[in-house]
Amino acid sequence: MSIIYVLIPIAILLVCIAIGVFFWAVKSNQFEDLERHGSSILFDDDLPKKANNQNTKTPGKHD
Amino acid sequence: MQTKCFHCDLVIAPQLNYHTNVFGNQQSFCCPGCCAVAEAIVNNGLEDYYHYRSEFAEKAQENEYEMLQTLKVFDDDSILQEFVEIQDDASEIQLTISGINCAACGWLIEKQLAKLTGIMKVGVNVSARRASITWNNEHLKLSQILSHIEKIGYHAKPFQPEQHEASFRQENKAFLKRLGLAGLMTMQVMMLNIGVFFDLFGHIDAQTKQYFNWISLLLTTPVILYSAAEFYSSAWRALRAKVVNMDVPIVLALSLTYVSGVFATVQNNGQTYFESLCMFVFLLLISRYLEHSARYKASQLSANMLEYMPTTANLVEGKQITPVLAKSLMVEQLVLVKSGEMVPVDGIIIEGAGQLDEAMLTGEFKLVSKSSGQTVFAGSVNQLGTLTIKVTKSLKGSMLNQISLLQNQALLSKPKIASLADQFSQYFVLAVLVISLSSYIIWLQINPSQALWVTISILIATCPCALGLATPSALSCAVAHLNSKGVLLKRADALEKISKVDWVALDKTGTLTEGKFTLADCISVPGQNKNRCLQLAASLEQYSSHPIAKAFSDITNTLQVSDFSSKIGQGVEGKIDGIHFKLGSVSFVGLAVPKDILGCNVFLSTNDKLLCGFLLTDKVRTGSAQMIKKIKVNHLTLLSGDIPSVVKTVANSLNIPNWLAQQTPEDKLHVVQKAQNNNHVVLMVGDGINDGPVLAQADVSVTLGASSDLAKSSADVILLDNSLEKISVVFAIAKRCRAKIIQNMGWALGYNLLVLPLAVTGFLSPWMAVVGMSLSSLIVVANSIRLLK
Repeated sequence: MSIIYVLIPIAILLVCIAIGVFFWAVKSNQFEDLERHGSSILFDDDLPKKANNQNTKTPGKHD
Repeated sequence: MQTKCFHCDLVIAPQLNYHTNVFGNQQSFCCPGCCAVAEAIVNNGLEDYYHYRSEFAEKAQENEYEMLQTLKVFDDDSILQEFVEIQDDASEIQLTISGINCAACGWLIEKQLAKLTGIMKVGVNVSARRASITWNNEHLKLSQILSHIEKIGYHAKPFQPEQHEASFRQENKAFLKRLGLAGLMTMQVMMLNIGVFFDLFGHIDAQTKQYFNWISLLLTTPVILYSAAEFYSSAWRALRAKVVNMDVPIVLALSLTYVSGVFATVQNNGQTYFESLCMFVFLLLISRYLEHSARYKASQLSANMLEYMPTTANLVEGKQITPVLAKSLMVEQLVLVKSGEMVPVDGIIIEGAGQLDEAMLTGEFKLVSKSSGQTVFAGSVNQLGTLTIKVTKSLKGSMLNQISLLQNQALLSKPKIASLADQFSQYFVLAVLVISLSSYIIWLQINPSQALWVTISILIATCPCALGLATPSALSCAVAHLNSKGVLLKRADALEKISKVDWVALDKTGTLTEGKFTLADCISVPGQNKNRCLQLAASLEQYSSHPIAKAFSDITNTLQVSDFSSKIGQGVEGKIDGIHFKLGSVSFVGLAVPKDILGCNVFLSTNDKLLCGFLLTDKVRTGSAQMIKKIKVNHLTLLSGDIPSVVKTVANSLNIPNWLAQQTPEDKLHVVQKAQNNNHVVLMVGDGINDGPVLAQADVSVTLGASSDLAKSSADVILLDNSLEKISVVFAIAKRCRAKIIQNMGWALGYNLLVLPLAVTGFLSPWMAVVGMSLSSLIVVANSIRLLK
């Protein structure tokens, strides 16, 4: 059972990291619009056809 | 089968013929506007939008050119100063965008803007209908960005978040952090303590238990100090104001449990309830967060509504009228204010006379007549007549004050049942405090070791959160549901009243009908030149913002008009080349009409001589018939300013039993007042300037997204996509919402009454009390959430 004396502090450390990440996410507005970013993964970033004159596209992603 | 517009899903009139290629297929559109938007989307390679979207788009604006002209005012330095944050050559602006219906709209706008050279960052917030844009101000102008958005069918306006909205946002973030922390900690503490709880066989030795207690204390401390901070300050504020609120027993329970837990841990002797403590805070925060975020969202949307407040004015320079920013107006400049428009600045009338509604400034609804030489104030609405104003004071302050006033009013109008619950909870809390104190004293006599825990159980178990949640949770779910259907609720308490409505009044022009007149026929009196008559009429109508005026907008209107005035619901008059002309209804013209032009509804006359009659027709909206079929109320009345024959035709075609024609705004007001005096709850659906007063008078008022500013400012419910069928949805939701509120309150009260004897007699340990309290709150919230479906 003595293993819990090590494991629980490690768990607490992980929780602290999780809280840190969560606070950072809140601070950087990631919870402002849950609707849009929930579905943005479904929308393709590529703009087919006229792909050559674009400066804001993610590289190397084609269907 | 009727064909529907590929872009906005409206039915296409069979004679129209607008097509373009999307995904290689020929698609049909309802108007040149929608067609142009679709073309722009396809030409930019963004046709995937039509795959991604889950909702149809809004009908596009047709007079695009005019729109783009007005956008130029946004390149003005003063606007840049106010709305744009500039760092080196990067500018950042917040825009509110109307027309966003689903997440694909956000995608489309981002992609469309990304094509402009000079755009650095675009972020579209779909739920708030806003975007923040960063761009390089050397390559790009603001008006270019706005017109680019306009081209794909959305309307963007610069926007400055209100001070209190910024604080709302801060609070929202703080809430999230507190909630997240409490949630994570609750999980940890529960994990440890579940082990202890279910240790039925005594395998956990005393030393481990003590270790668990210390860890629990360590994990609970941030929850008590940070997550629960809001409760302390709220309870403290209440006590300082010498009242008690819900937070007082909460703070009492929290601090008692925590302090006794600390003592028990340090002395290694006695009970601790850290897990109950964490869960209690976590669940309380959830309910508070729900309520807060509902209000945050409402404040965002109502702040977006401010875009409808005119920020532009019509500057008169010589004979030219240019739209400019109201802010940029300087003293001594001349401004034209048409009827139905808001006066943009304080000034003196130098030409024309008008009836002004100064309710926003004075609170008195009666119209004030003003003529040249008198002062008008920014924010008052010119109901009647056209004014030319000389600016006496620049805008600074006055308008902003009034807007924030208007918004605060909206925020303060809390639902009646909710405020009743608040009052009720005052007494409730007092009773709880008295009961827990007396049972503490009694238990001290019976069993001193249990006295504290019994008291804490009473405090926790009877926590009136479920009662406090009953109304706001139901209302916010109903509002969210309506919002997702394209219905904007300006006051949540309108929902409460809608369920009691038994008398419905409908406006005809622009509400049941499209409100877009088209000139169907022009019959002139023998000896009169038709073209000349049309020109005269068009020149007169250019000063009016009545829907009728738009029918004439395609005709050349170069004639000079002076002494122009308009009578709401009747007509317009003015002098051209020194001759007095009247254009309007029969009663306004006041002349006998020959038989052959009797079918017309607008007449042109001069000096007691009839010149010409115009037949203007107005199409009945597609949703009108369906709406009337679905609304099941006893009294349905059509109120219109139009002539009896036209009103009768519309009423008959839509099966409306009662109709009143030739109603002036005052008449409409009286009709509604009379109904209200007979104890009817009146719902008014209207859209125009002349509906403003009656919309304000009605118990619930509904208007369309395409209505005049005035109608929007006095309406409670706005149907953003202009489809009248949505009214029946509002009715249905209102009914369900009311049922939910009553269920919730009944449950919350019943639970508290049931649990109190259990807690007082000591049957309930604190953790059971927490579970019971949170279960009752969760049941209330879950019950409300069913409204979302």
